[in-house]
Amino acid sequence: MKDNNNTESIKTLIIIPAYNESENLPKLFSALIEAEGDFDIIVINDCSRDNTEAICINHNIKVVSLPVNLGIGGAVQTGYRYALYNNYDIAIQIDGDGQHDPKFIPYLIKRIKEGNHLCIGSRFIENEGFQSSKIRRVGIKYFSWLIKLLTGTLITDPTSGYRACSREVIKLFANDYPKDYPEPETVVTVLKNKLRVSEMPVIMNAREGGKSSITSLKGIYYMIKVTIAILIASISRKTVAEED
Amino acid sequence: MNMSGTLRTSLIIGSILFFVFIINMIRTKKLELKYALIWILTSLSFIIMSVFPETVFMVARILEVEVAANALFLCIIFLLLLMVFALTVAVSRQAIRTKRLVQELALLKAEFEEKNKTSKQ
Repeated sequence: MKDNNNTESIKTLIIIPAYNESENLPKLFSALIEAEGDFDIIVINDCSRDNTEAICINHNIKVVSLPVNLGIGGAVQTGYRYALYNNYDIAIQIDGDGQHDPKFIPYLIKRIKEGNHLCIGSRFIENEGFQSSKIRRVGIKYFSWLIKLLTGTLITDPTSGYRACSREVIKLFANDYPKDYPEPETVVTVLKNKLRVSEMPVIMNAREGGKSSITSLKGIYYMIKVTIAILIASISRKTVAEED
Repeated sequence: MNMSGTLRTSLIIGSILFFVFIINMIRTKKLELKYALIWILTSLSFIIMSVFPETVFMVARILEVEVAANALFLCIIFLLLLMVFALTVAVSRQAIRTKRLVQELALLKAEFEEKNKTSKQ
């Protein structure tokens, strides 16, 4: 897990957005320590009301605590800004709720090293592991179809928050990242900026503790908001990337 | 125009008080002049309309609206829509700025604490 002081080595950062994830974080940390590869970890504590921050400090994991709650998009973007300022070459986003197994991190890093700019961990390539509820799968299929229609690229799991990105994409996201439900929209933004997006099969777990940010009541708002966001992203001009 | 004396007097007094209130808010720095300009103009036009009600009928004629009150409603609703939209724009801009500030502050604070920790060791 620690740097091997290789001057030529590629710096990788794991970004973990966390809002009241004290139940799930210890397990994630031990899984991360077991995972292969050379990477640093940063937890973005989105003004949690539980002891998320203390747990990170106790586990000796670097934590950035937001003074006010910004929501998932604002939290993740803080991680990208950290990656930008600290000259990371690769940033990997992983949910703090235990859905994402860190054992796939080395494969994601490999994909970025191979020249992809964004690599999404997809549940729907091998269709293994937790597949989400039927109604959500329909929603994901719809976004997948919409993105294919607008960009010509098939993304099987556009809502996946398990993703790795290159320096180019870090700069893009550091400057501009949606506030809520950012995943499908950012895929379109990256594709529209003529950057390469690929997917890699991963196995996700059902959530262990806490609850999903998307409840049934918000479902309709979510579908409408993300549809409009995708349409807007597809007619947007190139995003300005942040300077080095 | 056939408007009762008491109504007209109270409208004039009310609109002048409104104007004084706005100016006082700016004077005591509770309102920023940039956002208050539209309110100064609005209160001035209230004064004009209450002192010279003929202006309302004139505007109605220009807009070819038969009932003067409808012309007044039309103008006010249009103005309100513009103001609400301008506010939405202002709120969006503030939200973007606040987000960036919060992010930078959190990153700085984390870095500061890190430095403090290493210097203590």
